[in-house]
Amino acid sequence: MMSALKRPLKRLLAIRGIGQVLTVTVGLILLCIVFGIMNPIFFSSRNVANLLRQIAPILLIGIGQSYVLITGNIDLSIGSVVGMSTMISATLMTKGVSPLFAVLITIICCLALGLSNGLLVSFAKLPPFIATLGTMTIARGIAQIANNNYNTDSIGESAQSFRDFFYYGKTLGLYNTIWIAILLWIVFNFLLTRTKSGRHIYAIGSNAEAARLSGVNIVGTTTKAYLVSAFVSCVVGLITTATSGMGTMDAGNSYELYAVAASVIGGVSTLGGQGLLFGTVIGASIWGVLQNGLQFAGAPVAIRNIVIGIIVVVSVLLDVIVRSGKMTKKKPV
Amino acid sequence: MTHARLITRSCTAMEGPYIVEMEHISKTFPGVKALDDVRFRLRSGEVMALLGENGAGKSTLVKILSGVYTRDSGSIKLFGQEIQGDLKPHQAQQLGISIIHQELNMCSHLTVEQNIFLGHEQAPLSLLDNRSMRKKAKHVLDSLHMDIDPDTVVGDLPVSKQQMVEIAKALQAQAKILIMDEPTSALTSVEINQLFTLIKELREKGCGIIYISHRLEELQHIVDTVTIMRDGKFILETPFRDLSMNRIIANMVGREIKEKFPRVITPRGKKVLEVRNLKAGNLVRDISLDVYAGEILGLAGLMGAGRTETTRAIFGIDAKEEGSIVVDGKLLSIKCPEDAIREGLVLAPEDRKKDGLCTKLSIRENIALPNLDQLCNRLGIVNRKKELAMVDKVVQDLKVKLASPEVNASSLSGGNQQKVVVGKWLARNSRVVIFDEPTRGIDVASKVEIYQLMNQLKQEGIAVMFVSSEMPEILGIADRIVVMCDGRITGSLLQEEATQEKILEMATRFENKLATQIG
Amino acid sequence: MKKLSVLLLVLLLAGAMFAQGTKESSAFKVYLITMDQMDQHWVNVDKGAQKAAQELGGIEYKWLAPDVKDDAKQIESINNAVAGGADAILLAANGPNAVTAALKEATEAGVTIVYVDSAANFPAVQTLATDNTAAGTTAGKEMLKALTDKGIKNGKIGVISVNSATASTVARETGFRKAFEGTAFTILETQYCDGDAARSKDMSANFITQGVVGLFGANEGSTVGVGNAIAEAGKNIIGVGFDKSDMILSLIKSGHLLATMAQNPDVMGYEGVKTAYKALKGETVSPDYFDTGVSVLTKATL
Repeated sequence: MMSALKRPLKRLLAIRGIGQVLTVTVGLILLCIVFGIMNPIFFSSRNVANLLRQIAPILLIGIGQSYVLITGNIDLSIGSVVGMSTMISATLMTKGVSPLFAVLITIICCLALGLSNGLLVSFAKLPPFIATLGTMTIARGIAQIANNNYNTDSIGESAQSFRDFFYYGKTLGLYNTIWIAILLWIVFNFLLTRTKSGRHIYAIGSNAEAARLSGVNIVGTTTKAYLVSAFVSCVVGLITTATSGMGTMDAGNSYELYAVAASVIGGVSTLGGQGLLFGTVIGASIWGVLQNGLQFAGAPVAIRNIVIGIIVVVSVLLDVIVRSGKMTKKKPV
Repeated sequence: MTHARLITRSCTAMEGPYIVEMEHISKTFPGVKALDDVRFRLRSGEVMALLGENGAGKSTLVKILSGVYTRDSGSIKLFGQEIQGDLKPHQAQQLGISIIHQELNMCSHLTVEQNIFLGHEQAPLSLLDNRSMRKKAKHVLDSLHMDIDPDTVVGDLPVSKQQMVEIAKALQAQAKILIMDEPTSALTSVEINQLFTLIKELREKGCGIIYISHRLEELQHIVDTVTIMRDGKFILETPFRDLSMNRIIANMVGREIKEKFPRVITPRGKKVLEVRNLKAGNLVRDISLDVYAGEILGLAGLMGAGRTETTRAIFGIDAKEEGSIVVDGKLLSIKCPEDAIREGLVLAPEDRKKDGLCTKLSIRENIALPNLDQLCNRLGIVNRKKELAMVDKVVQDLKVKLASPEVNASSLSGGNQQKVVVGKWLARNSRVVIFDEPTRGIDVASKVEIYQLMNQLKQEGIAVMFVSSEMPEILGIADRIVVMCDGRITGSLLQEEATQEKILEMATRFENKLATQIG
Repeated sequence: MKKLSVLLLVLLLAGAMFAQGTKESSAFKVYLITMDQMDQHWVNVDKGAQKAAQELGGIEYKWLAPDVKDDAKQIESINNAVAGGADAILLAANGPNAVTAALKEATEAGVTIVYVDSAANFPAVQTLATDNTAAGTTAGKEMLKALTDKGIKNGKIGVISVNSATASTVARETGFRKAFEGTAFTILETQYCDGDAARSKDMSANFITQGVVGLFGANEGSTVGVGNAIAEAGKNIIGVGFDKSDMILSLIKSGHLLATMAQNPDVMGYEGVKTAYKALKGETVSPDYFDTGVSVLTKATL
């Protein structure tokens, strides 16, 4: 029995990157304990439910950014796509479009932006930083003109089912938002670890030239990663619309950076080729716990920003130092 | 379809029909004719050694065969079928052509199994069949006698094992024509034996193998036939057993040296530069050499022998692990180029435009740049008069042809650029000038001027050392020649006794890793 | 060609003299220059101004504004107004220093300047704007009153604002806190949401978990989040906020928000025109700063 467990356990521990994931999981647990001690309200059932629901959108955008980071690129347009998504969906609903159609149209618009990102980076070969900086500005512009430079009106009573589905409703005791995040995580983790495309995503990030010479379709694979990123950002925008009951043009501000933070804390390498989506779960959770816990601890915003900033910088430093040292050094014969 | 069945299990396997027939292949790149009417053939079940110096065209030829380059003219027949038009890489792969590069081409974050199947994963309905792939990977690794867990991450393996994984990848792709470029450079002797056993097995299966290597000693263990190239031309193709090592070398270098070099004889003076036991990484392993005043020392060898690395270690660009550098009897501590420059030890680097000049600055600024300490007053302001005087002197002394010192350095011709690269050092009373490939990419007339410059320095009592891959040049200008191979000095010759063959022989004196002879 | 240009020059001069001439006529030319034409806020300033112009009579009123908020375009509008013979300009300056040069030229041409909503660093007759600090205090007083009416004398209060840099929202928060000085209530550490209503909702929900009795939002986004959080929690928490929007009004109607402080842009326009008229007539104008205040919108007033 023990030996039957030993093989899969050994395989688990041999997975590249599992070390960091385990470390941050321990870190997460410690963080929760610390916050709980500072203010026991942290552990109240009400707060735990809220906390999980606050983590869900961060996990979603983290998934998207992780996909792109693993290919060795970056997506700076995530936050603006969230804004674009919330504004388009809310504007349509205030004008009487049914929530279902509004959602479909919003998804199409966001995927179009994701497609542009993918093609600009892999086909036109623009540096991802520049390309997604451009689409970030475009998406934010679309968010602003969607309702003629105003925030939208209330999406109304008729959209209550929409609001419940994405945010206010509960299923089996957990908020729907959490279920959405969990289910999408399961799907995208499966695609990343068990399909050909998923493996190609890692290959491109590891050595794009070797991948190309082996017949991997660089354009197709890169574009898929950016489409995933656009899709999850779209979903977060819909959640935002449901939360507020309206569309705000400022929604999603800086989300792309939170997505990078969640990914990097969770062990995804900014150099590409490496990272576990489970790590992103932990990274997003740490982020959410920090935002939540520091509020209960009464920390002034300045302190909070510094704490969060330090954690991100340390994670990226570890990433760059450890990874690049390992990978580029040629082992002696 | 194939006569591969005719192969018998004997020492020298009987080869089958031609699977590669390349005729009249020519390829020109801007400025250089890489291949000139080359012929190349390979039979199934044959191990063909493709030999030639650096720049002979071997690499270009196999890249055309694998579809990476397109031929300008000539015909290619694979397995008896003429290839119409350009051969695409994808096409070549499908026909079973695989190259194992000298520079490893692996995704280091992925596992062995994932690398082996990269690009042609077994994935019915897009879902990876990990179990089947893992099994097959293990199978192919076993056939190579490699005890590697297919789930090992490639980046964690030593380079020699990574190379074996690349070979496994080619095997898994059912390679019928296997091109191996310096396959043994990173391998241990045990692995080399394993590789040779494998090559023999492949040969018996009807595989055709093209084996590119400078380690001429190893060839005897596995090679059937030899094709020799020189300066982009086909020289000869003959069974290995019909050739002696000397004849091979003679054919590799046997060009008529028509050029006359303006060599001057100067009496040799005192020792200026003394390098002892220099160690810096894999390519500089215990280098000791001397350079005297009034002497030009030529540093010869093949690409990858460690010559450039040696010059960089002496000049202080790369950190050295061990070794001493003595100039005019004084032991120097060189930790960075600044230290070397201060002691009068200067370098004109291999890549003129990248490392030798600031191409966006003017000629005047380039010449002044390392000499600003002499041109500035205490406040750091440049004395214009002094600067212009210095520039004028350099331009005159070296006869640099330019419209005005204010033009961008990049607008000069190659030869004049090289003069500026060297000129900026001459303003400083240098004692040792090292040139790395001084005449690369320079027209014939300018080459002569550079040789004359080197002679001029020699006559002024400066110690001159230069690295060159052009045999005629080394034989024509150097007073003394030191040959390097794989990070060590394998020989030293005076100009009078040096020949191309001797140099090449020394340049291919690799350490023989094979302990025993293989029958 | 030369003759044509001389003719044009003469016509221009004549036109200018004509314009000068009309200046001596009885109607005063008053121009309103706002930051842009779209925001509802400016539309209301214009409405108020029009009302005053009609009531007073003897005023030729015009609304000039660039299509988007842009310094160069606002300078152009000011210059156009001066060239068009303006007697007075009501200006909502884009920024404190952006248009001062144009204002200097306008003043030298004899134009009277009145600021509405946002002043610039240049002397003018009067500035009519929302005193954000006072408005914040008003909000605080509303909340305090509602709490004491319910018999609640102490407890925690949460504040959601935009960021620590925007002057207007910082002033509102300062004013709000002033209203609670000397009371037994504790105001917790302010949370910043960058104007994002969804983030404001999360932060408000956290405050609610901590057991606050009141929540304050310093702008539209913050206030929407506060209202949504109170609605979800279903608790009897007093929510007070700023700005007017469809969502906020519906939250007030449904009882989840107690009140919101709406600015009075129409008052700015109305009183602004009246001030300009007084100044042009040569009367003294005071005070230098006119607080156009906020309207407290509650369920009752809607």
